[in-house]
Amino acid sequence: MVRKKVTVKNESGLHARPASVLVQVASKFESEFTIKMYGYHVNGKSILGVMTLAAEFGSEMELIFEGSDEKKALAKVVDLFKNKFEEED
Amino acid sequence: MKTENQSIDLQGKAVSSGIGIGSATILSSKSITVRPDKIDPNKIDVHLQKLKDSRELLLSEYKVLKEESRLQNAKDILEAQIQTLKDPEVNKRIQLKIESERHSVGYSIFSTLNDYIQLLETSGVKWATERAVDIVAIRDEWVDVVSENRREVTMEKGDVIFAEEIPPALMVKISRIKVAAIVMEKGGDTSHAVILSQSLGIPCVINTHWNRYQVEKGMLVIVDALEGHIIINPGDQLLVQYKEKKKRELSRVKKSLKWAKKENITKCGSTFSLRANVEFLEELPKISLYGANGIGLLRTETILFETTKFDVKEQVEFYSKVLQATKKESVTIRLFDAGGDKLINDKSSEANPFLGWRGVRMLLDEPQLLEKQLEAIYRVSGKYMGRLKILIPMVSRLEEIVALKKIAKKVRTELDTGNVTFDAAIPIGIMVEVPSIVMMANKIAAHVDFFSIGTNDLTQYTLAVDRGNEKISNLFDSYHPAIWKMIKMTKEAADMHQIPISVCGEMASKPEAAACLLGMGINDLSMNSSAIPYVKAVICSHTLKELKELSRLVLKEDELEGIHKLFSKWKFTY
Repeated sequence: MVRKKVTVKNESGLHARPASVLVQVASKFESEFTIKMYGYHVNGKSILGVMTLAAEFGSEMELIFEGSDEKKALAKVVDLFKNKFEEED
Repeated sequence: MKTENQSIDLQGKAVSSGIGIGSATILSSKSITVRPDKIDPNKIDVHLQKLKDSRELLLSEYKVLKEESRLQNAKDILEAQIQTLKDPEVNKRIQLKIESERHSVGYSIFSTLNDYIQLLETSGVKWATERAVDIVAIRDEWVDVVSENRREVTMEKGDVIFAEEIPPALMVKISRIKVAAIVMEKGGDTSHAVILSQSLGIPCVINTHWNRYQVEKGMLVIVDALEGHIIINPGDQLLVQYKEKKKRELSRVKKSLKWAKKENITKCGSTFSLRANVEFLEELPKISLYGANGIGLLRTETILFETTKFDVKEQVEFYSKVLQATKKESVTIRLFDAGGDKLINDKSSEANPFLGWRGVRMLLDEPQLLEKQLEAIYRVSGKYMGRLKILIPMVSRLEEIVALKKIAKKVRTELDTGNVTFDAAIPIGIMVEVPSIVMMANKIAAHVDFFSIGTNDLTQYTLAVDRGNEKISNLFDSYHPAIWKMIKMTKEAADMHQIPISVCGEMASKPEAAACLLGMGINDLSMNSSAIPYVKAVICSHTLKELKELSRLVLKEDELEGIHKLFSKWKFTY
């Protein structure tokens, strides 16, 4: 199992579009993906789960991957957070 | 009562302008009923299969729609819908409801998605509450499919669509057929249906109670989405009139866009500024389209009502987006201008809201709200030095200005100690819309950085006419000689103290009135952005001398009719 804390850098938060990108990318990996935020656990491959976190700019969350390709998956998703999900803002 | 040949007139809110004429098509919204019925244990497999089949069916439909769609926002909407259908958690939960709770597939889908809808609706985050409608749409469509009760969508090119509300996927389908117009009973300004109709240029009117009348398929309909007017079964004469109006409108739009690109310069070479009045983020692309010089009036009521806690952060985000979209131009933010009746948790109503607790009166009574807004504005300003202005609404006495400036100073001091970079020199000006301010303008000008005349309210308060009162609404006329004299007084006071003056009311959007204002020396006007090209066309084709002569004659007139006569030659023509 690998885990890492990340911060939402998108000014408009982790809204529908970045959530959709996150789920699309994470779903390409085999590993199970859980996001932990304020004591909530959601499946990171579930778009509705991610959206209901309603994560705003500056929110902190922990990404947890478990499975054969966990390291690769974590690195890829952490990159997404860093690049603000390729949003312009 | 037979309505076949009787014409029906309806009124609504125009959200995407233009004129559409076509035959009515009604999108019925059968309300789906799902009951928590238990199913027979040996039917579980059938229901699981139905779940799978319905999901596959919708997925394949959405994928085709997405492939074929050329609009990026339509593609994004559909992608989110596709992912919702594929959502592993959602599917697991639905399946569990069928298998262990023995609920029907329809109810299982309905109640599972409802849980998410509720979470989104109560999240308190604006984008999340807004997206709840998308999940509602997919819930209803999915339940329709499993109960074999899908809405029949048969529409043809040139139809006028009547609907209660249009779910996103259906809207994408509609956008592919060239429909003439859309009439909706519900629909907010930011619903997908409205945004898509704007980007596609489909005339659209919302908040229309067409359901109360017998609108039937095939009836001829005129949708005038310039005025928010809908006529069903128009007579021949009306039809000819509107066909003519539609033609004029099309050529008007085409020609006006040419003017939008021209320089702001009169025939003799004097310069002037035409700015946009803006309320929603969705309007921002229009600023460059219509050639506006930034924003002369940014209304903040909507954003403030939408953010649950009047959050500084959400406001900062909103203002930043506006500033980014206006490049190097200035943006005048009007502080929250609303009556107390609209404030959350305040249900007390006033007998005379227009003469009541609103604008600066309310802001000074709710210092927290005011301070948060000022804080947000100053916080944004650091990144956009010299581009912001603050406008105080509904001022009626000097003390209000002094009190507000004191609070602004307090906010600045706090930010200073917090080491925040901000623009300490943001000009603070007032709306001139109450006659008392006009009478005192030469004193007041010494205390403010600029004047902005709001002609609608100034007219209402000066002429003692309530616009909403049908019996006297014909008396509401901003061209009244008294209004011109008040504008002149305000202009003279501004000149005496050398402060800038602008007009941001509806008057500025009328080419003839704009010409007169320029003649009076007011060369900074702000209006609904789509009016800018017409105003520009008239001003650019005259010399300053001609404009001055017009204003001299207007100011000399004692009767309203005389002013209208003078203006008749100045309307926009081709």
